[in-house]
Amino acid sequence: MKTLWAWWARLGGLFSRNRREREMADEFSSHFEMHVADNIRAGMKPEEAQREAMLKFGSMEAARESVREVARPLWIETTFQDLRYALRNLRLNPGFATAGVLSLALGIGASVAIYTVVDNLLLRPLPYPDAQQLVMLYETNPHRNFQHNVISPANYFDWKAQSTTFTGLGAFFDFHVILGDGKRSEEVDAQAVSGEVLPILQVEPIRGRVFTLQEDKDDAHVAVISYRLWQSWFGGDEGILGRQIQVNSRPFTVIGVLPPDFYFNARSSDIWLTLGLNPAENLRKTQGRWMWAVARLKPGVKLRQAQAEMSGIARRLEAAYPEFNRGWGIDVEPLRDSLVGQVKTSLLVLLGAVALLLSVACANVANLLLARYSARSREIAVRGALGAARGRLVRQLLTESVVLGLIGGVLGLGLAYFAVSGLVAMAPRDLTKSVAISFDLRIVSFAFLVALLTSIVFGLAPALMASRNDLNRNLHAESRSSTGTGSGMRRWLVALEVGCSVALLAGAGLLFRTLVGLQAVNPGIDDHNLLTFRVTLPSKRYAEPKRVEFFARAAEQLSHLPGVRSASAVSYLPFNGPAAGTKVDIFGRPPAKPGEELIGTIRTVLPGYFRTMGIPLVRGRDFTAADDQTNTPHRFIVNEAFVRKFLSGQEPIGTQISALMENENPFGEIVGVVGDVKEGTLDKEPTPTVYYIHAHITYGEMVFVMRSETDPLALAGPARKVIKQLDPELPVSQLRTMETVVRQTFSRQQFSAVLLGGFSLASLVLACIGIYGILAYSVTQRTREIGVRVALGAEPGNIVRIVVGSGARPVIAGAVAGMLMALALSGLMKSLLYGVGPRDPLTFVAAPVLLAVVALIAAYLPARRAARVSPMEALRTE
Amino acid sequence: MNEQNRKSDVWQGTMALMILKTLESMGPLHGYGIARRIEQISGDRLSLNYGSVYPALLRLEQEKAITSEWGTSENNRKAKYYRLTAAGRRRLRQETEDWAEASSIVARFLKAKEWA
Repeated sequence: MKTLWAWWARLGGLFSRNRREREMADEFSSHFEMHVADNIRAGMKPEEAQREAMLKFGSMEAARESVREVARPLWIETTFQDLRYALRNLRLNPGFATAGVLSLALGIGASVAIYTVVDNLLLRPLPYPDAQQLVMLYETNPHRNFQHNVISPANYFDWKAQSTTFTGLGAFFDFHVILGDGKRSEEVDAQAVSGEVLPILQVEPIRGRVFTLQEDKDDAHVAVISYRLWQSWFGGDEGILGRQIQVNSRPFTVIGVLPPDFYFNARSSDIWLTLGLNPAENLRKTQGRWMWAVARLKPGVKLRQAQAEMSGIARRLEAAYPEFNRGWGIDVEPLRDSLVGQVKTSLLVLLGAVALLLSVACANVANLLLARYSARSREIAVRGALGAARGRLVRQLLTESVVLGLIGGVLGLGLAYFAVSGLVAMAPRDLTKSVAISFDLRIVSFAFLVALLTSIVFGLAPALMASRNDLNRNLHAESRSSTGTGSGMRRWLVALEVGCSVALLAGAGLLFRTLVGLQAVNPGIDDHNLLTFRVTLPSKRYAEPKRVEFFARAAEQLSHLPGVRSASAVSYLPFNGPAAGTKVDIFGRPPAKPGEELIGTIRTVLPGYFRTMGIPLVRGRDFTAADDQTNTPHRFIVNEAFVRKFLSGQEPIGTQISALMENENPFGEIVGVVGDVKEGTLDKEPTPTVYYIHAHITYGEMVFVMRSETDPLALAGPARKVIKQLDPELPVSQLRTMETVVRQTFSRQQFSAVLLGGFSLASLVLACIGIYGILAYSVTQRTREIGVRVALGAEPGNIVRIVVGSGARPVIAGAVAGMLMALALSGLMKSLLYGVGPRDPLTFVAAPVLLAVVALIAAYLPARRAARVSPMEALRTE
Repeated sequence: MNEQNRKSDVWQGTMALMILKTLESMGPLHGYGIARRIEQISGDRLSLNYGSVYPALLRLEQEKAITSEWGTSENNRKAKYYRLTAAGRRRLRQETEDWAEASSIVARFLKAKEWA
């Protein structure tokens, strides 16, 4: 920015002015010295010589002033002239001005909006000092296709002990707690962090301090809160440090407040607590993989080195603990890649799409400009004849396009401002979960640059072309003899517009086919008329038997609400993030070799869950209220995938299985088999799943599901009331319909499809304007020719064919080029697609056909006008 | 338009021409030398403010007809020397022709006796 200003200033002579003044003074004084010396040599006395020299020179001030006047840069003056001229021209041609400005506003607006998101997510430095040194560490298991897996606390302590490439390595996980201050209680998002995490991020608390390593080890009841929470809950109270709060009904002391713009991993975190892991425990025995790790590379250490070291550590741990670590590796990934994740593909596709749209907008405006210039070719020729240099003419024409571009840019910026908030609102959750999107000066300067650049791109060629025109020909010739300035170029531009539009249409087509495909997928549940919400019990007030009792009673009461068919609860709602997964044993089989264990997904449910969700019971029976007792033997329900993959050929009912979930995992019999539910997202296959009854894994946090007669959201109020009556301190959270939950899993595709659809529609409209414009213009130009043809007996049909045919060539050329471009690029969107290949034939036929049909309509209108030309009139026009 | 302005209007064109011609015949020269030379050639008939060559020089420089650089005068004084460029040479040729053409037309016009 600084260099830009320096450049600007030099251009304006602002810097060189002092230099010029100095030089002028030097020059004048050397003039005097020489003059005086000459005079003395001619015999004058010194005073006389001086006086004479001064007299001959004339008024010094006048000379200075006229030098300054000449030095005053010409370009400022001419630029103002050009500006006035450009504005007058635009005002005189409101149709042209509107079409141009709107095209550009659309192109620039869309570009700026998408750029804003891309910039915030991919380009800006993360808000931590030396953020490029921050990495996330994941466990990976390529055999099971687990990437970015959560990590084991036991392995974590070994990593810490053995690694040398990090200045710090810490663990954390995101969860939520019930926060209370004795008067009110609410659920807030929380992060449990080891003592290292906040120092690794180098965050400076604005009040108080962060945890010490000792506090983490002791699991001290201390909390650090967000600025947001400090302001909203505590009203910015300066006495916040040392204040007592209730976290899940336990007393905690606030020791620090983090700065307003701080976030890590989840932007919604409002409270940080210690992780409190005890390295002395045998964590491999008691805990699986469940937390995340972040680290800071030592200065100068490259990601590659850290990865090599961690891979070595992983191999050692695999050899030392084969039971636990067979097949497991470690992946070191830059923090930004982790935060942005899968969204990157969508964003890059959208960025590409928006570049295409901008090209179409530019081509369209260039097209309009060429038409304008050829209508003004006589005026331009006259200016040339009157002595305007070519460079001057080009500059004048460019000023017009820059004015157009800047007006378009300002409108586009306004458009983008609103579009960005819309984008963020409809964006997939993981897009905005971990990075803030802000619209600031950086974006404004980007918009300005885009406007300036595009106006030069679309303005330069037409301006050069218009000014190159042979003056003589243009002064003498009436339009009849030529097909107009740059008509060849206009065809190229139309072909470009068509090409980009076809590519956009193809991309949008693929995504829409994906969406249709996803919506047709049977999720395995009936997601209509289902309401879901989460309730978390503070473990201090709810010991195990009380939890079982609470959820059983709540489900019972919810199912008796009017309008409710049935109600139940589940530990991990399907399509709402990952569920627990663990090793499963089947009774009577030899223990599996390390690395080849059967891994199943584990869900805990209340009786009636399957009926409520619309999951069919294939064999056996559902859990009953009698099963939901702590002292009953273990009984399980499994899904069909479990039977298919793990029990091939064996009768499932009565088979004894056990899953590694707790310290004691007795075998229990399978009492029922239920239908499969897709795991995670609709495009993933169902995984083998084991359902526990709640009494045997007594989660304190369950998601209620209620099947309603009609609109499920109408049950929200009564459901809240039921929970409140049972315990007024329990917040109800994440109240949503199941349809919303399922739809969110393909919001990535939906987001891209809607945007790409919008872009391709816009570019289609622009391309049509282009085709219409060029044909309408050529019809006007060829009125005489057409008149002659009609006079010689051409049928209206012939005329239509000629005109449409002349428009068809650039359309066909463009469509073919666009298809090739789309075929080359569509591979990039592979990870967004479902059910269609990136070369889906239907899409690649439909896109050019749709465009051709629309183009034909655009071409037909001027053709019809041509066919109605009366020969007498045509011949008389000139 | 007052007397002063009218004079300077005529001057702008002719001054440039005279400067170009001076530089062509004398080679690189400083402002003082140019002013001196113009005055010498025109004899007493042209009373010239030396100061007025400088705006004209700057304008010619902006129009790329001449370039300038600092050098040392015959008496070892620092002075800014002006030099004709190729474009300046072309322009001088063109303007000389134009001037001859224009003055012959005007001369013939003024001499013409018959106003039929």
